[in-house]
Amino acid sequence: MEPLHIPASHNTPAISYKPEHAWFRVVGNSIPENASTFYAPVVAWLKTYVNELPDGCSFEFSLPYFNSSTLKALYTVLMEIKLAMAKGKRFSVTWYVEEDDDFMQEAGETYQEMLGMKISIIPGHIEI
Amino acid sequence: MNSAKDINLLEYKGQISSELRIHLLDLLQCAALINLGRRSDLKKLVGIALELLDNAQRHNAANEVDFRWEIRDDELVVTITNKASSTDAHRLAEAVESIHRMNPEEITEAFKRQMTTEGFGENGGAGLGILQIARKVGNQISAHIEPLQDDEYLCTSKVSTSLRR
Repeated sequence: MEPLHIPASHNTPAISYKPEHAWFRVVGNSIPENASTFYAPVVAWLKTYVNELPDGCSFEFSLPYFNSSTLKALYTVLMEIKLAMAKGKRFSVTWYVEEDDDFMQEAGETYQEMLGMKISIIPGHIEI
Repeated sequence: MNSAKDINLLEYKGQISSELRIHLLDLLQCAALINLGRRSDLKKLVGIALELLDNAQRHNAANEVDFRWEIRDDELVVTITNKASSTDAHRLAEAVESIHRMNPEEITEAFKRQMTTEGFGENGGAGLGILQIARKVGNQISAHIEPLQDDEYLCTSKVSTSLRR
């Protein structure tokens, strides 16, 4: 399996899969001008490897701010995870929200509703 | 920045870039927090400005913007002006006109449709920015386009929203 590690930039989040912890994390602000281009390697990595990831793998998202283009790109990322779960993979998905933040809360709920998948929306934030 | 109690104005004229958007995000979050106090919709208010800036950078014929954020009494008004091609200018005007024809449920449905539509625009846009703003402010969004020369138009987008909770 190819490693996945994209360092954070001034306007894009860090994205990493750590096999020793079995977690996949997206952490940081995401306001790229072209979210499709930025997230394309992540979607490609998931398409290739998601079915090789171990049961119990945790997908964790901690994005304090993101633009609507990112909202759509992450929908594609979550769809890949959902498809693998539909085939029997036992993954968990966590969406971190900062305290008293409607913006992040509503985004998590939008994904829950639109994808029809279990997403734990919990207060706090994580780092890579 | 005017720090009078009931008026708060931030205006920027000049080049727009990804880095500028990041710094404006920080500045607007700080200005909103200081002037409005801690409230759960702060990022949604700042998000209105950032979506307009995103659009202006993506569809800009001159790489310059005139951006204005104004809080007056109980209302936030965000205005942005930039030059755009005829195609982009008319696309903006049509997007806003279609918002005006929708009720809140239809706006939500249009947003969901756009989310699930495969692909992005040629400039990397998701086609969600105006819909995302409309989910917050309803049809309190306007777009005025004015022909300049050749294929260029001057586009002014304005969004207003009540700050009452």
